[in-house]
Amino acid sequence: MKGRYADENLKWIAPLILLVILLPFLLRGATFSYRYYLYVLNIAGIYTILAVGLDVLSGYTGLVSLGHAGFLAIGAYTSAILVDQAGVPFGLSLIITPLITGLFGIVVGFPALRISGMYLGLTTMGFGFIVRRLIIALRTWTEGSAGLEVTKPLLFGFTFNSDWDNYFLVYTFVILVIVSIRRVMKSKVGRALMAIRDSEHAAQAAGVNLTRYKLFAFFLSAVLAGLAGVLFAHTMRFISTDHFDILLSIYFIIMVLVGGVGTVYGAVVGTLFIVLLDFLAIPIFKDWLGSFVAVEVADIQSLIFGLIMFLFIIFQPMGLYGMWLKMRIYWKLFPFNPKKRFT
Amino acid sequence: MADLTVENLKMHFSGVVALDGVSLEVKEGEIFSLVGPNGSGKTTLFNCISGFVTPLRGTIQYGDKDILCIPPHRIIDVGISRTFQNLQNIPYMTVLDNVLLGNHSGIGNRETVRRWISQRQRKIEETTALEVLDFLGLANYEQRYLSGQPYGIQKLVEIARALVSRPKLILIDEPAAGMNDQETMEIAKIIREIRDDLGVTVLVVEHDMSLVMAVSDRVCVLDSGTVVTIGEPAEVKAHPDVISAFLGEAAVA
Repeated sequence: MKGRYADENLKWIAPLILLVILLPFLLRGATFSYRYYLYVLNIAGIYTILAVGLDVLSGYTGLVSLGHAGFLAIGAYTSAILVDQAGVPFGLSLIITPLITGLFGIVVGFPALRISGMYLGLTTMGFGFIVRRLIIALRTWTEGSAGLEVTKPLLFGFTFNSDWDNYFLVYTFVILVIVSIRRVMKSKVGRALMAIRDSEHAAQAAGVNLTRYKLFAFFLSAVLAGLAGVLFAHTMRFISTDHFDILLSIYFIIMVLVGGVGTVYGAVVGTLFIVLLDFLAIPIFKDWLGSFVAVEVADIQSLIFGLIMFLFIIFQPMGLYGMWLKMRIYWKLFPFNPKKRFT
Repeated sequence: MADLTVENLKMHFSGVVALDGVSLEVKEGEIFSLVGPNGSGKTTLFNCISGFVTPLRGTIQYGDKDILCIPPHRIIDVGISRTFQNLQNIPYMTVLDNVLLGNHSGIGNRETVRRWISQRQRKIEETTALEVLDFLGLANYEQRYLSGQPYGIQKLVEIARALVSRPKLILIDEPAAGMNDQETMEIAKIIREIRDDLGVTVLVVEHDMSLVMAVSDRVCVLDSGTVVTIGEPAEVKAHPDVISAFLGEAAVA
């Protein structure tokens, strides 16, 4: 009998992990500004964790969320307050904070038992706004809209001083999250979530408790967002409400869409694509465009991301990962390609 | 001693009478067909049994359990599983995964956690599903994504999903809808095998009379929410009320 996931090509995994480990060394050898690239990669890693969580909720379970920046904010602020003001060690905060964020996820999940689609998107968007207002209102702990300085991560007596150190911290969690979430999605839980997306009746007839699994999807998604929040707060070392606005939630959706909805790797690839584009390509493009007209980075950013989402939805609804899968089949069949299948 | 007893079931949908005092009994080990014109309440009866809608009045008992108060996702634990009239499959999952979905409540939480840590034990989870696929002649399809498969295969996958939890009673809603004669006979054979080889009681809703006549032990004819007659296929076919319900008054004379 063939292996269950024979199409998965596991031999790529080890080289990929090795590449992730070696990348900072390669970058240091290749360029003087490697610190900046590491900083960008750290942000990409943190957003990857969140995007995988969003994919669990919106891609697998089909519950749209436009409020994930809110969960990120809750994670970031909770950890900042716990570590700096309540004296909880960073290692403990890495466990507690995601769970607290997960509880918020369950609370936000309750409306999802009744509504779906665009209405749920609006509800979660409202949640994002509420979180921002709440952070400003609770100034005794959060210092309002002025922002909050956060201490460096300190784990087992080791302080993560630079982006170099943070890279290894962040990407340990990225790999852990990818592996464990992929396994969850291949188990009965993943099947139940996908069944909820495609046919609630089939799910119920198969014995899936809709209430429980929808809330679980929200919980898991929020836990990952909370984890991303902890890492965000302590590696960026400064957080303010400006970091977590509605646009960020929409960018998360774009990341998942561009990568490929309903695949963990898709979320990863999409996040890398969008973040690298954002930090590396858009400034160059802005400089080039700046020689003709006066533009701001923020304008181009929205324009390009909007355009990318547009093009992907029309031409590649399966996203980058789907494109890769199609390409692989194409080369496998090479001289005998039935052309119609790839248009 | 696990008969399905439906008694005096009444269901209205905002004024439209779907079921008006339906009583019937499905004995263990028989193939029982429900026929009737469109809107006669066959699917509503199915939905009542599987818990998707709650009837206004009446009782449904399975064995000695009252299954009306059981929520839809618990019905499968009683030993009743069902398929749907319109395909309710998960297109972006493989055939095998679709079938495994049916065994959702059969896989315990502790096992799931154990499998989450070690992937070695996945095979055990799959054995039953592969057996069922084999049984339905779908062994070659296990790794394929359902989205590209023909309608007939998708129908069979749905039956496989209902069978994998090892139910005692299976409700099949219009298995032959949209099939040609040859496929219909294939379905008839499968329904008989489900009963004979797996020992599962079958309750089937069907429009295709050739299928109904070929497989059923007993047939119940519904019309506008009431039972016209219950009996063996041959006597039902000859019943004057049945002929008038299906073909109109003129045909009786």
